[in-house]
Formats: sequence, C-alpha cells, structure tokens
Amino acid sequence: MRTLKSKVFSPAIRIVILMIVTTGVAYPLLVTTIGQTMMPYQSNGSQVVLNGKVVGSDLIAQNFNSTKFFQPRNSTDSGSGVDPDITPASAISQIPAISSATGIPANALKTLVDLDVARNRETNALVLAPDYVNVLNINVELVKQYPGVYAQEASMMGGS
Amino acid sequence: MDNVILLTVLVGSLGLAVIFGRYIARMIVYEKRPLEKTLGRVENGFYKIIGVDRYEQMTWKQYFLALTVTNVIAAGFLMAVLLYQNTLPLSPKPGLSLDLAFNTAASFVTNTNLQHYAGDQQLSIFSQMVGLIFMMFVAPASGIAAAFAFIRGFIRKEFGLGNFYVDFTRIVITLLLPISFFAALLLLFLGTPQTLDSTITVGTLQGGNQTITIGPVAAMESIKELGSNGGGFFGANSAHPFENPTGVSNVFEIILMLVIPLSFPIAYAHLIGRGRGISILVTMLIGFGVMLALGLSESSGPTGLETRFGSFGSTLFQESSVATNTGAANAALTGMSPNAVIGLFLGMFVQAIPGADGTGMMMMIVFVVLTLFLVGLMVGKTPEFMSMKINPKDVKLAAFVFLIHPALILIPSVLAYTTENAQAILGEQTTPATFNQVLYEYSSASANNGSDYLGTAANTPFWNWSTAWVMILGRYAPIGLMLAIAGSFTLRDRKEVVEPIKTSGFLFVGVLSVMVFVLTALTFFPFLAMGPFSM
Repeated sequence: MRTLKSKVFSPAIRIVILMIVTTGVAYPLLVTTIGQTMMPYQSNGSQVVLNGKVVGSDLIAQNFNSTKFFQPRNSTDSGSGVDPDITPASAISQIPAISSATGIPANALKTLVDLDVARNRETNALVLAPDYVNVLNINVELVKQYPGVYAQEASMMGGS
Repeated sequence: MDNVILLTVLVGSLGLAVIFGRYIARMIVYEKRPLEKTLGRVENGFYKIIGVDRYEQMTWKQYFLALTVTNVIAAGFLMAVLLYQNTLPLSPKPGLSLDLAFNTAASFVTNTNLQHYAGDQQLSIFSQMVGLIFMMFVAPASGIAAAFAFIRGFIRKEFGLGNFYVDFTRIVITLLLPISFFAALLLLFLGTPQTLDSTITVGTLQGGNQTITIGPVAAMESIKELGSNGGGFFGANSAHPFENPTGVSNVFEIILMLVIPLSFPIAYAHLIGRGRGISILVTMLIGFGVMLALGLSESSGPTGLETRFGSFGSTLFQESSVATNTGAANAALTGMSPNAVIGLFLGMFVQAIPGADGTGMMMMIVFVVLTLFLVGLMVGKTPEFMSMKINPKDVKLAAFVFLIHPALILIPSVLAYTTENAQAILGEQTTPATFNQVLYEYSSASANNGSDYLGTAANTPFWNWSTAWVMILGRYAPIGLMLAIAGSFTLRDRKEVVEPIKTSGFLFVGVLSVMVFVLTALTFFPFLAMGPFSM
C-alpha cells in the first residue's frame, strides 16, 4: 500500500499539477503575451478600421440589410454560421441589384470584385484556397471609393 | 489548384514526419537528441519535483497503472473545473451539469473530444484554457507514451518498457509543447486570435453593434490538431474563421494532424527495421488514400461548407481529421457527400490509417499480428513476428483489441434505439440518415475520434453517460491489452532466423492492406448497409 502511494499516486498528482501549470497556464499566457505585443491585429480578432472607427471583423460575417451593399450567405448555409466570404459567382450575381440601388456602374463593381478576389488569392499563397470575395472588405471598399453614395451610412457606421 | 493543395499536404506532412520520426526514435531508445544537454536539465528538474527515478523501469502492469492513475487525476481536475467554473476567474459561466461534465472530462482525457456542449457559449476562458488546453497535452502524451512502451517491447529481449512518468514528461516538454508553441504563433500570424477576453463588441458598417466571441484560440488550436484532439474552442470547430481563417491555415492544420501519426512508422523503421517501418507507412497511406478517393469521388456542399475551403479543402480536412482520429471538422458533416461519409466511417473503423498519435501505430501492429496469424494458418506455418513465436495468448489479446471496437459501437447503438433515446433526439421516424448519425456517434466515441453529427443535441443524460463509458472503454481496454502484448513479447527469446512470413515488401503490404479491409468490412458491413449505404 505504501509503495502504491509513493510510487503511483504521489508522482501522478505531482505530474498533473506540473502539467496544469506548464501547459494550462504558462503556455497559453506566453502565446497571449507574444500575440498581444507582436501581432495585436490578429490577436484581437482582425478588426477592420474605417475612418478611425472599427466596423467589424475581417473574419466574421455581419448582416447587411441595405441593398446598397454586397450580402453575405445566410448564416445557416455555411459550416460556421459566420462565413465572411462568398463565391465570386455569388458576388457577380449581386451586381445588378447594387448597381441599380446606388447608381455605381456594373463594370466598376465587377472591378472591385476582381480586386478582392486577387487580394484573397495573395492571402492564400495564390493556390491554397478557391477564389472568394470577403463581403466586409468589398463593402468597405465601396464606402471608401464612393463616399457620396454612402454618405448616410458613413455617418452612422461604427456603432456606439 | 486542388492537386497543389494535396501535394503540399503530402510533402509537408511526410517531410516533417521524416524529421520527427527520427527524433521520436531517439526518444524511444533514449539516444542523444538535438539540444540534449538543455533538454536533459529541464527534464531532470521535472523528475526531481515529481519524485521519480529516471532509470527505473516499469513492468507493463506498472506502466498501465501509472498511465491510468495519472489520467484519472487529470480528468477529476477537469471535471471539477467544469462543474465549478462559475466560481473560477476569467469570464465565469454557469457550471456544467454532472453528466455533461463527466462526458466532457472523459471525452478530453481519452483523446476523443466529442463535444456535447458549445465551447463558445458554455465554457469560461478558464475552463477552455486551464481545463481543456492542459488536457489536450495529457491525452496525446499518454497515447504516445503507451506506444513508446509498446514499441520497446519489440526492440530486443528485456530492453525494458520504460517509465511512464519519464516518458510522459519528455513527450510533453520536448515534443508536444515546443511544436504547439511555434504552431500557435504561425496560426496567430495567419489570423487566429489569442486573448484572455471572452468577447469583443465592434461596430458594423451599417451602424449597429456586433458582439463576437473570442479567446485564447491559437494556443488551443495548435495542440488540438497536433495532439489528435479535435475539440474546438467554438461549437463550429475548424469551420469557424477564428479557428481556421484561410486556405493556408487549413493546409497547415491538416499537416499538423498528420505529422505525429506518420512519424511513428518512420521511428519504427529506425528501430525495428527499415523495410518493416516503411511497409507499415505505405499500408497506412494506402488506407488513407482510399478514404481520400472516396471523399473526393463526389463533390460536397456548398451548404454546410465554408466558402474559403470549398469542396476540396473541406473534404481533405475532414478525411485527414478522421483518419488521424482527431475529429476536428472544418465543415458541417451534413454538408459532406454520402461517399465522403463512408470514407469517414472507414477511418473510424480501422483507427490505424494512420490513426491517432501513438495509438494508431499500436493498432496497426495489432493488425500485423492478426494478419501473420491468419496467413500463417493459410500456409500452415507457425506465425512469427520479429523472430518471435506468436503464441495463442498473443492472438487472443490481439483479437480482443480488435473486437472491443465493434462491440462498443454496435451494442450501444442498438441500446439507444431499444430504449428510445435515439428517437428522443432524432425523431420517431428512423431513416437511414438518422441511423447513420447514431452509428457515427458511437463509432466516433469508441475510436476516440470526436467527430460527430449530434453535438449539443446529444446533451441528455443517456447520451452523456453512454458515450462517456464507450470512450473510456474504447481507450483504456485496448491500451491495457496492447501493453500486455508488449509485456509478454519483451520477455521472449529471439531466434535469428529468416521470418517464415516476411513482414516487409510489396507482398506483405498487399496482404496487410487486404486483411485490414476484409476484417473491417466483415465486421461492420451489415450496419453500413443500413446507414450510409442507403443514404
């Protein structure tokens, strides 16, 4: 009994405590410290800033109920429910509606789609993902390039 | 483009496996590793605190007892954290119910990570970090340690199986922790967040507010994939953009899942014979190839899949995840094609193509022993393995290891229906699709895989208790039996004669692959016919 206690239980308890401290506390805290000091943008959820205001996360879908913006997928259609991206085909199919709501020419919108696709290709080492359009990014581009059209939205954006 | 992704995954994981295979071989036989002096000093510090003599060898029973007791204590700690997380710091949430806490503790300590809860909604940052990340090191380290002891049983007579506490310390400190650390930093760079905050509130482009769940995701994600764990920070697992932000992170996570399981046959090649190890590696890759071919034979989605992964990136991730018994998911299982799901079942039934960290290799050696026995019967020769006679007891133990798995899948599946607990969560009308989900749940639990359809829907006492016990038996019974096999082999005389049946080369790879397939198909075919084949 005594050997069982000293040979099995005592080392087992000690090794568990040591591992809690090493792997459950020190390791994640070290990664947090490095992340927060060296990669604060990624560490805090890739927050997109426009005109000095945070307007969302690059990685998380947000609702756009105005027809002047590109729309994300319905939340239940994707694996995560917050898929921030749509296919280029889906983006292109939305162009006529956006063009008629904003007066922005369709070919200008198509160019924005192509630019966003190219940007995402770069993020994915050109070949490691299919082509896609990030909905928040392309909408941010719209607001940046057509401030007149989105003047009303720009005054409200960023929440409280 | 798809071919480039596949090639990157294969070259990346096999390339790293060559490096880590050599390293693991050195760990198994206590040879000098890079930075040996520094590593040795750190380890000695640990041994001193733990109170263990690094030269003391254990018998297979002592090894198994130490492993089990350490796991029980770790699981008890995790269960207490989950039950009382409301009283603990870092964004406390209500404590989990007893059955859910037991299920979760059993799930993570057995390297399964079946999740009947949604982490982003139900767990505090403390539970995720100190509870789960910690356990994500304990579980794979235990499996790898068992595999170390098992392989030592074959090296030479009375080489010694090793000391569990020594192996466990070395595996965590000099293998899992350093790789996880650098992998976490790379994932961070690719966009995975890492903070102690539990939520951020951001404005939106249209002028509203959006509350987003966040946390120490990068630190968890790396060991989740590297350690065959698979339990996500978020309910959506690796489909969630914070866990897996881009196509690059997707490829990197797949490589992380494959690297240690593929390193084992290479370590085996260094220690037990080049041809033997490579033959096992090739057999594993053939099985994995069949899974991939099934999965890629039919397009999946787009419903249930993430746009940035598409059908190819999702299928490759899912098949790799289930093949390595990780169980992580980068898409909803309901979005996967029927053929892809059959591939997933194949992976969970075999558990060795390439299987989880450590245990996958052990399982493949069990298949080797069974194959030698069956082929020996066919050609009328006494079966031998590594110049040792395989006696009836070895074959019985190996057959037991093989049979536990179907028993733990099929009996509870039937029970779930007869007690109407399956109908309670899936509807009165039983269809091939709902039967498929029940079969999948217990296959996943028994294989210590963790991939599942049911998720939080299975958070009922019946499902929590039943899957918890299936996970526990599916983990410790095979490990115990496999250590017993190693314990008996290590005492046996080796005759330096030509093997009656060669355990390397094309012929053996062919026979072994066919045997693995036949044994699995015979066992599970009726159930597959009722479920996935009818979908």
